[in-house]
Amino acid sequence: MSSPSAILKENIWTSNPIFMQVLGICSALAVTNLLANTMIMTLGVTFVTALSSFTVSLMKSLIPRKVRMIVQTLIIAFYVIIVDILLRAYLPDMSRALGPYVGLIITNCIIMGRAEAFAQSNPPLISAWDGATSGFGYMAVLLAIAFVRELLGFGTVFGFQVLPGSFEPWIIMVTPPSAFFLLGIIIWAGKTVMNREGAAA
Amino acid sequence: MNKQSLLYTVVFTFVVSFVFVLFLSFANETTRPLVELNRELARQRSILAAMGIPFSSPEEVQQQFSEVEQLTRDEITLFRRQIDGRTVVAKEFVGAGLWGPIEGVLAVTADLERTIGIEIVDQNETPGLGGRITEDWFKDQLRGQRIVDGAVRVGSPGDGDTDPDGGVMDAITGATRTSESMGVILRDELQRLADILNGGNV
Amino acid sequence: MNATQLINPFSLFFASIITSNILLANFLGMCSFISISKDMKSSNGLGLAVTVVLTVTTGINWAILNYVLIPLNLEYLRFIVFIISIAAAVQMLEMIIDRVSQALYLSLGIFLPLITVNCAILGVSLFMEIRGYTFVQSLVYGLGSGLGWWLAIMLLSAIRKKTDKSKIAPGLQGPGITVITIGFMAMAFIGFSGMLAVQ
Repeated sequence: MSSPSAILKENIWTSNPIFMQVLGICSALAVTNLLANTMIMTLGVTFVTALSSFTVSLMKSLIPRKVRMIVQTLIIAFYVIIVDILLRAYLPDMSRALGPYVGLIITNCIIMGRAEAFAQSNPPLISAWDGATSGFGYMAVLLAIAFVRELLGFGTVFGFQVLPGSFEPWIIMVTPPSAFFLLGIIIWAGKTVMNREGAAA
Repeated sequence: MNKQSLLYTVVFTFVVSFVFVLFLSFANETTRPLVELNRELARQRSILAAMGIPFSSPEEVQQQFSEVEQLTRDEITLFRRQIDGRTVVAKEFVGAGLWGPIEGVLAVTADLERTIGIEIVDQNETPGLGGRITEDWFKDQLRGQRIVDGAVRVGSPGDGDTDPDGGVMDAITGATRTSESMGVILRDELQRLADILNGGNV
Repeated sequence: MNATQLINPFSLFFASIITSNILLANFLGMCSFISISKDMKSSNGLGLAVTVVLTVTTGINWAILNYVLIPLNLEYLRFIVFIISIAAAVQMLEMIIDRVSQALYLSLGIFLPLITVNCAILGVSLFMEIRGYTFVQSLVYGLGSGLGWWLAIMLLSAIRKKTDKSKIAPGLQGPGITVITIGFMAMAFIGFSGMLAVQ
């Protein structure tokens, strides 16, 4: 079994769910126009991935094979509803801003993917760690996209004005296509560096 | 017990669902009062924001809101307050956007000479396109905009119309339908406000 | 009673296909979109399957929402209920198609299991709920979103046929260039918004 630090490196870098597998972007790419929204959204994904991996691992010997997928979906949906309830009660503005995208965490392929690929065959705590680190890898890429989009689209970082008032915001950064372009560039950069590392090794 | 048997599968699925739902309904019930409180606070905040009254803390919102008069005319609630020697009237509205309802608050001077401001409470327009109606640059166009012939028109995007006396505001690039919907909502709401305010007794 | 009901189903239909395409503007259904668009024939099959399932499940979830969840005050359970009803509907559809036509099963049925986890399906149901659509609006919106998704995947797979044979920087090959291509498509689709402004 891999050590926690090896899992960390693997999930954040060498098999990062986004730039190696382009998984799970549907639920969060739409909210990357602002850093704060992205932060909360990816924290939600991390929370759900970690806890559902933990729970799946804990219950794996009890779950009948025939209903495995549906029980996993139930577990994931359970945690997503908890996130939804918490947001509505404690961060009402955020809850409104994210709208239906919170619910879409359920269909984020990363969560089900980690539950199937890792939690099914590993003990609970390390599964939770695997889920959390996958979430962090995901968070890192989306925050990078959101940083550029918010900085150039609004001239702000987390809502604070950083660029001078004379800065003309780039409207393209606020509209959906920019998220695709930035994601493509990040995948490009990540893969190029990785290819170099591979060639060096 | 055989874990692959039908009985076990059914019982297991049932028990798991039951426990989850039980926990969720408990969580939902305990946070319900908080959610309702938040909703009321958000409503008060939007009304103050539309009227251009500054606030920073939730306590201040409640304190400022208590100074706003509420009047009911023809089953419509209006909010009224004197600001800088002018009478400002605000009204909540719901209109059809491109995708779903757009809810908000519109504030005008009581003589219907200018709009004071708008606040969008809830909308479902496309993020990054129509969703930009909640951004300050869009809403700020209605700060002190003159009402010309009973309406504020939404022009084409990027006209750069910064003249608050023109009665025209910029549309949003790539969101023609949402911009048009906002135009319709503004026209209808100003009409409604005119009917009430010109009918006297406000 | 509700402002949404004023929305014209036709404008909803065209907007969901083109100017606010579920995939290009809302980023939904990306996972299977990128992996399947390598091949045109599979893209066509998946596009059809998504369209059928979207229309059916949006209708079913509308009924569940309005006749079960809202009367019983159980709206907070909607995520679980929607995803289970989608899984069940997909399973049923697979069984029906298998019985009815072997040919259809081969062209459509094999894509059905992929669909339960396609975020576009759950996404459309959630949008339908949050926007308070009527039954007709829900069906039109489901159908339009499905057709929009289908159109997008067919266009992308046609473009990928070309880009697969082009010289591309090594780091950009595969997902990288695909994502950037989708970005250009998204820009083009948004460009239609001026054209369809006539209500």
